[in-house]
Formats: sequence, C-alpha cells, structure tokens
Amino acid sequence: MNTVKNAPQRHSSSVPNVLSTLSQTFGKMNQYPFLKWGMLIIGLPVYVISFIIYLMKRKDDAYQRLWHELHQACTDAGLKEKLITKHLEQQRRKQTFFQQKIDELKIKQVAEKRAEDEFLQIVEDKVQEELAQRGENQLTFSGIMRTLLKHPVFVVLTFIPGLLFYILIFLYMNPYIKYIFERLVSTLFVIIGVAFFVFTILYISPFDPAANILGVTATKEQIATFNQIYGLDQPYWVQLWQAIQGIFTFDLGASFAGNENVVDAIARKIPITLFLTFIALILAVVIAIPIGIISATRSNTFLDYTLMFVALIGLSIPNFWQGLIFILTFSIELQWLPATFTPGNLLSIIMPAVVLGTGLMASIARMTRSSTLEVIHEDYIITARAKGLNERRILWRHAFGNALIPIITVIGLMFGGMLGGAAVTEKVFNISGIGSYIVDKQFIPDIPAIMGGVVYIAITISLVNLFIDILYAFIDPRIRSKMKQY
Amino acid sequence: MSTHKDSLLKKFALKATSEYTQANFALVVSIALTLIFLLAGIDFSAGAIKPFFFTLFIAYAVFSIIQAFIAYQVKRDLKRDGVIRASTRIWGYIQLLSVLVGNIFTTAFAFGLIKKKKNPQYLFTMFMLMTQFYCLAVSALNLFKPYVANTFLMGMFLLLVIFVFQLVVLFLVIKDKGQSPKWKLYVGILLIITSFTGNLFALALGLFMLLEVLSKTPSTVAKWYTIWEKIASNMTAMLGLFFILFIFTLSICSYWTFDYDMAIENNYGATLQMPSLAYPLGTDNFGRDVFSRIVFGARISLIVGVLSTLIPFVVGGILGAISGYYGKRTDNILMRLLDVLYAIPGILLAIVIIAAFGASTTTLVIALSVGSIPTYARTMRANVLMISNMEYVMSARALGASNLSIIFKQIVPNSLAPMIVKATLTIGGAVIATSSLSYLGLGIEPHIPEWGNILKVGSAYLESHSYLAIYPGIAIIALVLSFNFLGDGLRDALDPKLD
Repeated sequence: MNTVKNAPQRHSSSVPNVLSTLSQTFGKMNQYPFLKWGMLIIGLPVYVISFIIYLMKRKDDAYQRLWHELHQACTDAGLKEKLITKHLEQQRRKQTFFQQKIDELKIKQVAEKRAEDEFLQIVEDKVQEELAQRGENQLTFSGIMRTLLKHPVFVVLTFIPGLLFYILIFLYMNPYIKYIFERLVSTLFVIIGVAFFVFTILYISPFDPAANILGVTATKEQIATFNQIYGLDQPYWVQLWQAIQGIFTFDLGASFAGNENVVDAIARKIPITLFLTFIALILAVVIAIPIGIISATRSNTFLDYTLMFVALIGLSIPNFWQGLIFILTFSIELQWLPATFTPGNLLSIIMPAVVLGTGLMASIARMTRSSTLEVIHEDYIITARAKGLNERRILWRHAFGNALIPIITVIGLMFGGMLGGAAVTEKVFNISGIGSYIVDKQFIPDIPAIMGGVVYIAITISLVNLFIDILYAFIDPRIRSKMKQY
Repeated sequence: MSTHKDSLLKKFALKATSEYTQANFALVVSIALTLIFLLAGIDFSAGAIKPFFFTLFIAYAVFSIIQAFIAYQVKRDLKRDGVIRASTRIWGYIQLLSVLVGNIFTTAFAFGLIKKKKNPQYLFTMFMLMTQFYCLAVSALNLFKPYVANTFLMGMFLLLVIFVFQLVVLFLVIKDKGQSPKWKLYVGILLIITSFTGNLFALALGLFMLLEVLSKTPSTVAKWYTIWEKIASNMTAMLGLFFILFIFTLSICSYWTFDYDMAIENNYGATLQMPSLAYPLGTDNFGRDVFSRIVFGARISLIVGVLSTLIPFVVGGILGAISGYYGKRTDNILMRLLDVLYAIPGILLAIVIIAAFGASTTTLVIALSVGSIPTYARTMRANVLMISNMEYVMSARALGASNLSIIFKQIVPNSLAPMIVKATLTIGGAVIATSSLSYLGLGIEPHIPEWGNILKVGSAYLESHSYLAIYPGIAIIALVLSFNFLGDGLRDALDPKLD
C-alpha cells in the first residue's frame, strides 16, 4: 500500500523538475531571433493552442486592470497639465537661450508631445512598481508559454502535434548536445552551400560537354539527345535540386564519359586517397612533434636553427617536384622503392606519403615549437618548477598537453589542404585516387563526376573538422565553460 | 670586481653582436652549398668528376675556409676585447670576392663586416648593388649564345651605367655623416628613376633619401627608420628580399637583354642538349633554351603569385573588416557564406573553376584568388574585432566620426600589419599552386615558359635528362623560400609583442 502511495508522489516531484528546465530552456532560446522563428515554424500547433489560452487569460490580466486604474488616477490628479506647463516652460527657456524666434504654436506641439510621453512613462513605472509589490508578472505571450510548459497536462496534450518542437527544446537542454547539434546544422548548411557553389560554377561554364564528348561531327539531334539523357536540357533549378538530392541519396547518375556510375567510382577511389592521407598524417605527426619539442626546449641553438631551416624548406618545396626528385633518387638511381603505387604493396606507399606529408610535417614542427615555447613561459610552468618537479615531468605532464591544442587545430586545418593536394601527388605517383579522378574528368567537363568528387571531399573535410571541434569541447576547459554560458 | 664585470660584458658581446651570429649562419650555409656542389661534381657511377661543378666546389670550399677563419677571428676578438678588431674587419674585403662565385651568403656577411656602424641605408645600398651586379652577370651569359636580342647591347650598357652610378652612391652613403645635405635630393630622384629596372632597393633608398630631405617632421622619418632598421638587421629576411627583387629585376631586364624566341621557338637542331655555355641549363625536347625559359618563367610566377595574393587581400580584407566592424547579423551571414568557400580545398576549387572556364592565366589568377578569400577575411575580422575595442576607436566615435571614416582612418591602417605578413607568407603558396596546376596541365598554356610547364616537360625525361626537372624546381624552391624568409622577418619586425 505504501509503495503505491509513494510512487505517484515521486513521479509528480520529478516531472516538474524536467518541465521547469524545459520552460527555462524555452525562455533562453526565445532570446535568439533565429531560434524563435524556427521554434514557431516547427511547433505551430503548440503556439496556436497557447495563443488561444493567452487571448483568454488576457481578459482578466492584472496588468491591464492596474494600468487603467493608475492611468485614470493620474489624469484625475492633473498630472498631465502639470507636465505640459513644465515642458512649455522648458521650451521657452531653450529658445531664449539659443536666441531663436519663439514660435508659440510649435512650442505647444512639442511640449504636448513630450508631456504625453513622460506621462505614459510615469504610469508605466507606477504599474510595474505596483505589480512588483503584489508579486505578479505582466502577462506576455512568451510568459504564458513558459508557464504552460510547466504544466504536465499541457505538455502531454500537445506532445504529439508538437513533437518536433519538444525535441528541439530537448536538444538545447544539454549544452554539449546543443553544441553538437548546432555544429551539425552548420555542417549541413556548408555541404549544401558547397554543392550549390560547385554546381553553379560548372553550370555557367561556357563549355559544352556534349560537343566535347561527341566530337565536332555530332549533329544537332545527337547533341539534343545527349542533353536529354543527362538532363542537361532542364532548367537550372531543377538540375540544382537533382544534384543536391543526388548527393544526399548517393545517386549522382552516370558520368558523361564512359557512362559509369559516379558514386560507385568515387566510392572506389576515396578509400585510396584517405589511406594515403592517413599514412601521411601519421608520418607527419610522429616525426614533426618530437622535432618541434626538441627545437623549443633548445631554442636559439644551432640545432634549433637547423631544424627550423629544414622545416622552412619543407614548406617551400612543391609536392610534385619533391615527388620527381624522390623517384629520380630512390627509384631510378638507387632502385630502393617502386616509382608507382600499386595497391597492396606497402613499400610503394612510402614515397607518396612522405611527399604528401612534408608540408604538414613542416607546419606541425613550426607550430609545435612556437606553442611549446609559449606554454613553457606561462606562470603555471614556473610554479611547477618552483615546486621542484624535474624538467621532464614539467614538459610532458604540464606543458605538452596544453601545447597540443593549437597543434590539433593546425592538423585539422591542414587536413583539407592535404586532401586537395593529394591530386598532385596522385598524378606524380600514378595513384588512381579521387584527386586524379577529378583532374581526369575536368577536361570534358564531366559535371556530375567533378561535383561529386569535390563535394564528397568537402564533406569529409567538414566531418573531420566537426569531429575535432567536438573533441575540443570535451578537452579544452576554456571552451567548455564558454559553451555553458549562452 | 671590474674583471668580473668585464667578462660579463664580453660574454654579453658574443650574444649581442650581430656579426657573430651572421658569421656562423653564412659559414654553415656556405659549407652546405660546398657539400652539395661536391656531390654534384662527382659522377659516382663513372668514378669521374664533372668539371663545372667540381670547380664550383673548389671555389666554394676556398671561401668557406676563409669564412671559417673569419668566424673564428670574430669569436676570438669578442671573447678577448668585446669588440671586433679593425684587422678582422679587413678580411671582409677579401671575402667580398665571393660575390664572383655567386655565394650571396658570405658576400652579404662581408658587406656587414666591413662597416662598423651599419645604418639601414648602407645595407640597402649593398643589396641594391648586389642585385644590379647579379642581374648584369646573368644577362651577360647571353654573350655565349649564337645570337642575342636586338636590344641586348643597349640594355647591357644601360645596366652597366646604372651599376656605376650605384657604386658612386655607395661611396656617398659611406661618407655620409647623418646630416641631410642637398645632394641627397638629386641622388634620391636619380635612384628612383633607375629603379625602373625593377631594382626596388634603389626605389626604397631613393624614397628614404627624399623623405629625409623633404620631411618637416622628424617623427615620420624616425618611424620609417625603425621599421627599416628591424628588417635590415634580419639577415635571412634581407637575403629573401634580395632574391625576390633579383628575380623581379631580372624579369624586367629580360625584356631588353634576353631573346624571347630562344624560350619559345622550336629549334630541332639542338634538342635535349646537355648544359653548356651557350645553353647554361641545357635545352628541352623542342630545342628551347631552358635557361631563357626559366628567366621568362619568373615573370609569370611573380605576376600570378602577386596578383592572386593581392585580389583576396583586398576582397577578403574588405569583407573581414565589414564583418568584424558591424558584427552580429552581418558578421554571421558573411562568415557562414565564407565557410562554404573555406570547406573546399584551394587546389580543388581552382580545378573546378578552371574546368568551368578553361585554362588561361586570367582564369588561373581568379581561381587561386577565390580560394584564399576566406583566410584573409578571417584574419582581418580577428584584427578588426580586436582593434574596434581599442580606446582610440572609441574616442573617434565619441568625436562623432562616421563609420566609414573610423573604418578607413583608424581600423584598417592599424590592422594591416598581420595581413601584410600573411600575404608575404602566402605568395609562396600561390607560386607553388601556379606551378602545380601547370604541371597538371591546368594552368598556363604549355608553350608559354612557366616553371611548372618546364618541369612537366622535364618529368618526361627524368631518367635521361634529369636536369630538365631539377633546375626549374630549384628556382621555385628558392623563390618560395625567399618569400617565407621575408614573411618571417616581417612578422618579427612588425609584431609589437616582440618590441
């Protein structure tokens, strides 16, 4: 018997807790115009119901009643007349002071306008004061919604029609989920933007793929058939919509030349490029971070200068030249490594990975040096030293972790450049990755193939950056605290 | 006690004297070059020596030994007396001879060693002379060709006259006691006129002389002077600047002293020649002189590099300034739009634009520019956000200045420094991107001499004629490295944190 009695009690005490957070989050979200309109669109049924309740409640609103009462009282007390005289006097004095001509009619108009404004302000102030004394709030629509959202009955009744609305508020209840959700939305926006941009550029191109593929001898009918098959005769917006739809449904149709499925081809080639990039990334991180730390701990020595000089050369070498020199030295003269890449042969991935990773290696080494140098001059490192910790412990336990944050940013930023730069490296080493696929297709121009390649690379980059951002949110306490206060 | 203080001074002298670090830097680079020439001078498979590179190796080795000796002397002097002795400085004159073998590192050091009190004017004069000298020397190589351009003699004569004039300027600058006499006005004007050859050191020097004579306010002179001094004291930055301006001068002078036909006309009588005096870097598969092609290629690399940095600098700068100054919704919308551009890697974006509008120099410049707008906009926005909260901006606002005047008079001038540094550092990237795209067949038309195009030809003859691929690559690296050195130097000079 007891347990049965207790159960609903516990239930009722926990529900308002969730609901009060719900109502609070709603209040916070309502401050941002973008979110406000978004919620209105998503949760229209909820808003309609609340609006009806609002209209009903407004009739016996304390604020309205008070306002009328106090307005009447003030008018009766002759406050308005007093104000008019005061403003008339003020205007006259002002005009005399500036030695302007006194225009009675104008002065009267201005004075009446100002007196009216001040009168309303005084009434408003008094109403607010009175309300505050009585402990009541002014009835506003958002206020009504907030109180309604605290009512379990209201929430349960509107839960089904306003499901999306409640899900949105729920996402915003937890700062982490809110952050991830917002980043996801902006990533989605970026992806659509990229697709729109790339498609539009290729659409306004003066080249005619049909003429390029069918040759100069093609008749008008042949070209028209070609355009019809690939949907090139349709208006811009239809083509754009199909392209964006195709990107999300992984169906971009067939490429103009060769008539192969674009998404299949891309799916075959992207793993090779990603694998190459990944190996290059690992190589760069493993080599560059120790170099940067050595440079920072022995700053301004001969070793430091040499390492940084080499890093600067690494930044200045064009990928394709480095690739050619590597082939010349290691494949042709020394015959240590194969000159072209063959899948499955791990030896053949070494040269492309080193070439692709050189720029990143140099950037990471320079960044590691400067960020470590910055960190080891911070006060907390001095504190750690004063505590008597040995240098090694200071470096690895206290300095390294904090120096790593900007390095990860650099890696994230450079990752995109690497995927793009892979096109050149792939051409040099004859790797059939996504980069060389795009380069091969651009001469036609094969619109679906180029767009698919570029957009899927952009998606990969966006997702990697999204991942790094989210990683930050959990690692960096500064971002964490910033996230919670919005 | 006094000895202790003395030794402290000497210890300090070793670190504070710029000559000491510069001596070591020049020594190390010189030794490295010597070793590279040694490796290039020996044909390991045949067990023979290549005469040209081996001679170079010997010459560099001699100057490296002299440099090592000077470095030792400098160190000893500083340890013993705390100053460099006059007898050590004399050695600078001998080391100056290394200008003849093209060792700019030891030459630049020697110039610095000779004069005890170096002002930026002196250093700029030195680099101006070096630029002119090497430009003359490289142009003179054309004398070994079967024929030269019609304007060759006139051009060479003009360059020689300018060189002699600049030598005179050098003596005037050395004798200058720091007043601003009247001759500076005329010499300054003449120097500015001679800078039409592309020798911007002369332009800078001339402008500074005019500024010194004409300026009524000493503070402007002093302001420029400090920036100059900082850049001039940074040897690597100056060497970077030197190489860039050398290439620039050469690409302008090549209008008179080089024959364009050599670089583009096919000559089937002389295909794939090995390097010789007539063809210093050999010829390619169409018999075109690779040396001339590289010289003419510099023009395109510089133009494309500079333009595709300037356009995003201006466009991105304006967008960033608007975004940072107006904030809120404007900022949000602009930055989200730029995020779209930012998500596409630069090279891929360039490929897309070139695919749509065809491969040409104009498309290339636009393609490279569009991709780097977001980074400039972000840099500018961050600067503007920081500066618009400064007190002087608030005071301008309180004085009733309009938004436009605040942006252009207060915010933009004060946020330019990081942008300039960024631009210098990204010109190198643009040069690499240009040649990469040409290498892929997407950049400049293949017959036009451009470094990427030369390399593309070279890559086909990697096994038999590897020099075709090596030399243009070295030219690219040297130019990009110079921009990077200059950018690093500018950052150090303009960064107020390091003051």
